[in-house]
Amino acid sequence: MRARFVIGCILGFLLFACAAVHPRRAIAAGEPCDRACLTGFVDQYLAAMVAHDPSHLPLAPNVKFTEDGVPLKIGDALWATATGLGTYKLYFAEPAAGAVGAFVLIQENGTPAILELRLKVVNRRITEIETLVARKETTNFLNTDNLTEPRPIFLETVPASDRPSRQEMVSMVSKYFDGIEQGNGDVVPFDPDCIRIENGVQTCPSSASSALGALSCGAQLNTKIFTYIQSVSPRRFPIVDDERGLVLAIVRFNHPGSQQTVEVPGHGKMTMGRYSQWPNSTEIAELFKIKNRKIKEISAVIITQPYKAPTGWE
Amino acid sequence: MVVLGVHPSSARAANESCDRACLNGFVDQYLDAVVAHDPSRLPLAPKVKFTEDGQQLELGDGFWRTASDRGTYKFYMDDPVAGQVVFFGTMREAGTPVSLVLRLKIEKRKIAEIETIVVREGMNPSRPTDTGAESFEKLGGPDPLFLETIPPAERVSRDELARTANKYFSGMQQNDGKGDYSFFADDCSRIENGMQATRGTDTMASGSSQRNSSSYGALAGCKAQFQSGLLHFVTRIRDRRFVVLDTEHGVALAFIFFDHAAGNTRTFQTPDGKTVTAGPTTPWTWEMAEAFKVEKGQIRRIQAIFHRCPYGMNSGWSTWADAMSDKARW
Repeated sequence: MRARFVIGCILGFLLFACAAVHPRRAIAAGEPCDRACLTGFVDQYLAAMVAHDPSHLPLAPNVKFTEDGVPLKIGDALWATATGLGTYKLYFAEPAAGAVGAFVLIQENGTPAILELRLKVVNRRITEIETLVARKETTNFLNTDNLTEPRPIFLETVPASDRPSRQEMVSMVSKYFDGIEQGNGDVVPFDPDCIRIENGVQTCPSSASSALGALSCGAQLNTKIFTYIQSVSPRRFPIVDDERGLVLAIVRFNHPGSQQTVEVPGHGKMTMGRYSQWPNSTEIAELFKIKNRKIKEISAVIITQPYKAPTGWE
Repeated sequence: MVVLGVHPSSARAANESCDRACLNGFVDQYLDAVVAHDPSRLPLAPKVKFTEDGQQLELGDGFWRTASDRGTYKFYMDDPVAGQVVFFGTMREAGTPVSLVLRLKIEKRKIAEIETIVVREGMNPSRPTDTGAESFEKLGGPDPLFLETIPPAERVSRDELARTANKYFSGMQQNDGKGDYSFFADDCSRIENGMQATRGTDTMASGSSQRNSSSYGALAGCKAQFQSGLLHFVTRIRDRRFVVLDTEHGVALAFIFFDHAAGNTRTFQTPDGKTVTAGPTTPWTWEMAEAFKVEKGQIRRIQAIFHRCPYGMNSGWSTWADAMSDKARW
């Protein structure tokens, strides 16, 4: 299959000067789309987007496209503004579901931003395109300086004998969101050395000089400083990549804005951060690395949204 | 129980039409209930719908939780024929000044529709601490011209009023400077989020600094800004809902979205041959309510309240096709 794939690419390149990977030509429509096939769709999508030309994409007739939760015509929004790609490309896939996703660094009129892309592929056609774009205009924190290569742990393969079921993996990740809602890190199966990177910024344990920021991911939850997040709802788990121990969750954090302060055990009363000062939500695409049945690392793409704005897929 | 000065639901029989005082009374009653965090005191229609910043919420959620007081700026725009009222005003949210747009639709003396835009700190990244509210309060109140009645002989139909105001949106969308902008009165001026967005009047628009500007904001009057062709980067003005058409005062108000696609539309040529690159560099939408004072077929005053929202967002009151269309509706 790989040989046919490469040949397809070469033919595609010669005939159409198209993207280097061209899955539609490489494999017949009836065959299953494996990891390489699925990631090929991502490459093709990204190349088309930077070229501002969706016309050669293998789209299903009723394909649905959203950017930042808003249904749009393909060709609009980031399709008009993307000017290049960086080297940072983190892919994950669930071939049994025809699902593939990516976190990639993009250039938009020369300014870096982080794109989260989710595709669903059915019969070699793209049926769903869901994107979030973390831009300096759409989020309160963003640092793309270190986004050159994916962190290696996300690429590690989990031994076949040590792969939890889809249901188990989703359950572990959902407990993370339960822990945020409850202000209780003890209910979350964290690896003690878990780290979380959000929009390129490590937030637990964070390098910030604050005493709370330096705490572990679980201990941070126990301080109650996240109780301004009233609910994590809705929650979706569209991609579970069991081969690599990865779960992609797409969720909305709801901040009603009515909690201005919190009592932190051992620290006293603290004023909540900016997010707590008025009603707003954040839409988050969050990738979890599960290793030894613990959450080992978290990488998130986050945008600020109007309070309770739909993600477009509920 | 404290009886409010105006209590439309009990003051008149339910089947009467709701005049201006009645409509404004509903606004006051609504805002007092918001500050009290108590929607139960409102006369609500059974299927009342509430949106805040384009999102449908339960009554009592959103700004209902956080509003702490009313502000001093109050501008009521009534359409008794349609049973609708739009209010531009200032409020306090946990003590912080915010600007508010409120639309109520009244049916049989009950509130049937509630649409709000709350301009808060942080919603406009280019001016992160400016909600517009302090500027509005410095103005004291609406431009008196908005409150003047049109002599009966000069009043136009609702259709005519909407058509004139809509020329503003059509002239700005992909503005090329070559249109017929005679719908602007020479003394037209515009206020956006409490700030003056025109620098004078078109009668002042002369001199080389005006002609050579590459920024529409530096130009004096409404017409000069449109004639410059410098607003080309406003790609699409869509979901144009005229919800107040007050022929007695010549006031039209629309909810709209300004989309800036930010792609190749950023670079364009102006009528005087200059190649200009301008406008947002990322896909950008303003969620907006904009009021027009129209006299003798011309726009004399414009006032808008707006903030950034997700690109391409729906208002919560339109189908997707209508939301994406640049056709005006009323």
